[in-house]
Amino acid sequence: MGLVSTPAIVLHAIKYGETSKIVKLATRDYGIQSAIAKGAGRPKSRFGAQLEILSEGTAHLYLKPSRELQTLAGFEVLRLRPGLAGEVRRYAAAQVLTELVLRCAPAEPHAWLFEFLSRQLDRLAEVTSVKLDEAALSAVWQLVRILGFAPQLDYCARDGRSLGAGAARFSISDGGLVCSACAAGRRTALLSRDDREALQHLVAGSYDSPVNLSARHAAAHRRLLARFVRFHLAEGREFKALDFWERLPWRDT
Amino acid sequence: MSAIEEAVAELARLPGIGRKTAARLTYFLLKQPRAVIERLAKALLNLAEQVKACSVCGNWSDTDPCLICADTRRDRSMLCVVEDAADIAAIEKTGEYRGLYHVLGGHLSPLDGVGPEQLRLDSLVARVANGSVVREVILATDPSMEGEVTATYVRGLLERYGVRISRIALGLPVGGDLEYADSVTIARALAARREMTG
Repeated sequence: MGLVSTPAIVLHAIKYGETSKIVKLATRDYGIQSAIAKGAGRPKSRFGAQLEILSEGTAHLYLKPSRELQTLAGFEVLRLRPGLAGEVRRYAAAQVLTELVLRCAPAEPHAWLFEFLSRQLDRLAEVTSVKLDEAALSAVWQLVRILGFAPQLDYCARDGRSLGAGAARFSISDGGLVCSACAAGRRTALLSRDDREALQHLVAGSYDSPVNLSARHAAAHRRLLARFVRFHLAEGREFKALDFWERLPWRDT
Repeated sequence: MSAIEEAVAELARLPGIGRKTAARLTYFLLKQPRAVIERLAKALLNLAEQVKACSVCGNWSDTDPCLICADTRRDRSMLCVVEDAADIAAIEKTGEYRGLYHVLGGHLSPLDGVGPEQLRLDSLVARVANGSVVREVILATDPSMEGEVTATYVRGLLERYGVRISRIALGLPVGGDLEYADSVTIARALAARREMTG
């Protein structure tokens, strides 16, 4: 295929040898790609400071579809997103999105997935501290939905019956809310009316939603989401960033 | 596995050394007098037997505490926090810093399973906590996303103890040409500009 250029986000980077880096890129046009950036660690490297994780730009790749490791010829950064390092909660949430994309996204290119990731990373970098938990939860729930694992919130996930308004029981193994008849004898979490509405807004990704979670509620929502992801998406894989995000204390350190 | 294959395999485990280089090194060693190989083997064994992490700062040393922690002439009110012991050598080479160090042993990287529990943070807090002589903590983690977020986390841990917390400056390398610097570095240098006073 030769030299190609594509918008890309640096998902992961590890040092390789004395001066090189191996990066995982989410590219808009060629899906997830691993590439070696030779000499990226040299003080006068052409990559400079540009291969920072979660940064976005134009990647120039020598692409050979039969190869697992491509060669990165250059990377022009457009967004560095230094705001993500300003709070551990921001960084942790961004890493959860990264982890889900790395572990669960389809290998073939999906421009909409790339655009979604780009938008959410921007939002996580810029949102105020007060709205950060909602933004993070919403971003992860939306990604879960995009990956095909949206929780059932309108009907009973077991028997399909319509659910009335108000508090309801959420069954992780069934993939959503369940009616009181189906909930009997099953392991479920009781969501208050407010929490249920909040969850609907978070999954829908309505930015101007009235959701305003306390730190304690945000932690509970993180736990629910983390368990949901582990049950439905893990397939034996580890989600280390998700574990870290779930365990974050209520009060940011 | 033959002795040669075994040596190649072991050398190839070292960072920056692939199988070709490992084979080249192995054949080079085979051509050396036995004494040279014995000296190398002894030096490596000494590394394993004598060098330990300093119980105070985490620096590699064959004494405990290390020579830096034991040096009474150093400024004990200053603590420089670095990711790896190798960073200490780089700072020491400048000759500009006379305080003590604390090695974290890495940076936060949730994706790789490195959280606060994997870093030497408890011992850092203990060194800075109430009653300590430390007045300033310099966060000298790498100027990368992971280094920045680690610095942010450490700042959060330490700010309750009333010490001054500073971050090493980020910017242009001395002797470099501005026109060849990458845009990220220039942007950071501009953001961290300082007033020139006469």
